[in-house]
Amino acid sequence: MSMNVDSSRSLRPPRSLVKRRPRREERRLSPGMARILVILAMVAAWEIGARFFGDPLFVAPPSQVAVALVGLLGVKGVMIAVGMALLELVVAFAVAVVLGVAIGLAVGLNRFWRGALYPIIVTIYAVPQSTILPLFVLLFGIGAATKIAFGITHSVFAVILTLIAGIQNIDPTLLKCARAMGANRRQVLVSVILPSLVPTIFTGMRLAMAGVLLGVLLAELYVSSAGVGLYTQTFANSMQPAKLFALVTLLAAAAVILNELCRMAEARFTRWHS
Amino acid sequence: MITIECEKVSKSFGPRGSPHRTVALDNASIDIERGELLCFIGPSGCGKSTLLNIIAGLAEPTSGEVLIDGTPVNGPLPRKIAFVFQESALFPWRTVIDNVKLGLAFQQVPKGERDDRASEALQAVGLADFANHYPRQLSGGMKQRVQLARALCLGTDILLMDEPFAALDEQTRMVMGEDLSVLLARTGKTIVFVTHSLVEAVFLADRVAVFTARPGRIKTVLSVDEEHPRKQSFMKSAKLAEMRNELYDLLHDEVRKTMELRGEAGESGARAQSRGLRR
Repeated sequence: MSMNVDSSRSLRPPRSLVKRRPRREERRLSPGMARILVILAMVAAWEIGARFFGDPLFVAPPSQVAVALVGLLGVKGVMIAVGMALLELVVAFAVAVVLGVAIGLAVGLNRFWRGALYPIIVTIYAVPQSTILPLFVLLFGIGAATKIAFGITHSVFAVILTLIAGIQNIDPTLLKCARAMGANRRQVLVSVILPSLVPTIFTGMRLAMAGVLLGVLLAELYVSSAGVGLYTQTFANSMQPAKLFALVTLLAAAAVILNELCRMAEARFTRWHS
Repeated sequence: MITIECEKVSKSFGPRGSPHRTVALDNASIDIERGELLCFIGPSGCGKSTLLNIIAGLAEPTSGEVLIDGTPVNGPLPRKIAFVFQESALFPWRTVIDNVKLGLAFQQVPKGERDDRASEALQAVGLADFANHYPRQLSGGMKQRVQLARALCLGTDILLMDEPFAALDEQTRMVMGEDLSVLLARTGKTIVFVTHSLVEAVFLADRVAVFTARPGRIKTVLSVDEEHPRKQSFMKSAKLAEMRNELYDLLHDEVRKTMELRGEAGESGARAQSRGLRR
């Protein structure tokens, strides 16, 4: 092809005929902005739906929920209930992770015990636990103990199973390499096995967080003689949807924040990964 | 002086008496001189890597034994033997320098000495500038250099390398081979090197042990009479070409036999061959 500028230009079809994809810097809308627009559209739809089509006894528009939320922040009883739920979440999460990692390591690193216990753990994990919630109340009463215990049983098995799977996926070459360089059992554990499992442990933590939120809040709502359960029950029975929605929003915000903390810790500690 | 003695080493895999039991290695015997570079070459599955692992004490022979300086091998000997693996055996969460130091840490070398020896080894393989990189930031060739540095800094008399350049492209492995020859000529180590590449074997080795198809036996041992470090001119020499051809003839039938056992050879036999024998 000739290097002549004019001739090469003439080979191009006229601009108007080509549908050109806009270059990155020309695109007006970024994905982040699009996301915000979608969220705003959803809130607007909720507002319009609740205001003009909903029954005010059962649904409240977001504007009223926001007002109710500010009001709730001043109600001492509600704040104590939410704080208590948060405390239960954190305790259940910590216990589930520590216990899960310890059991996961003990079972996963030992071929004999893995063979013996793995099927039992999988079976328990598969049981829908909400069916035995009344048993928890009988055993632990209606206080924080039930909620924490229910949060733990909802999460600890996921941590154990994730860890056992992670142990199976440790690179055998690295184990062999450590052995060839003279590592003893303790050194293999500290320098190969545990660092290999860091991403696995964080995966387990994310699952544990989801399980703990489910378990603790389920128990909170089920036991309605005190705490968050009492308030949701009260607000629902007295037809105050704005307050009910505000309380739910508060709990959802707490869940989002806890999940986000988990994700940030993971990003911090697995930087070498990917 | 002989430093590694393999005496009738056999290795079988699978349960005893089962039809699935395979004999990977059948009465392999070879004596390896102190300071020599010996290459194992043979068709896939002929047990050359298995023998290397047995010498390293990372696998147990089914029968026979390996002696290092007269003592039977009975587990890893980290102070005598360093091992370079085929695939990247670097710890991904450790930086390059920390990877190199790890073996020294396992052997409780004092911290100051660890730093010095690791830096020196990285220098020797030309990666001093990459000390604080993570393995994922390195190319395949660089990763294998780090592995080599890690093995070298352990200061062992023996270096075992299991197809260290297998995952590299031909041009990279050519340069790696030249560098290795220069580096190793200085150290005076005893080296056993497993490879699939005929040219690599002749270019690097003092002797080349040719394995038969499974069950693997040592068919013959060729001597390469050429001074270390090997020069570029040797790579282009008629002598190297001639020895490569000799190896080709020795291996050709064995590779074909291996392929036929697996049902891979046939009409496309020529292609299968060139896959098995990297020329």
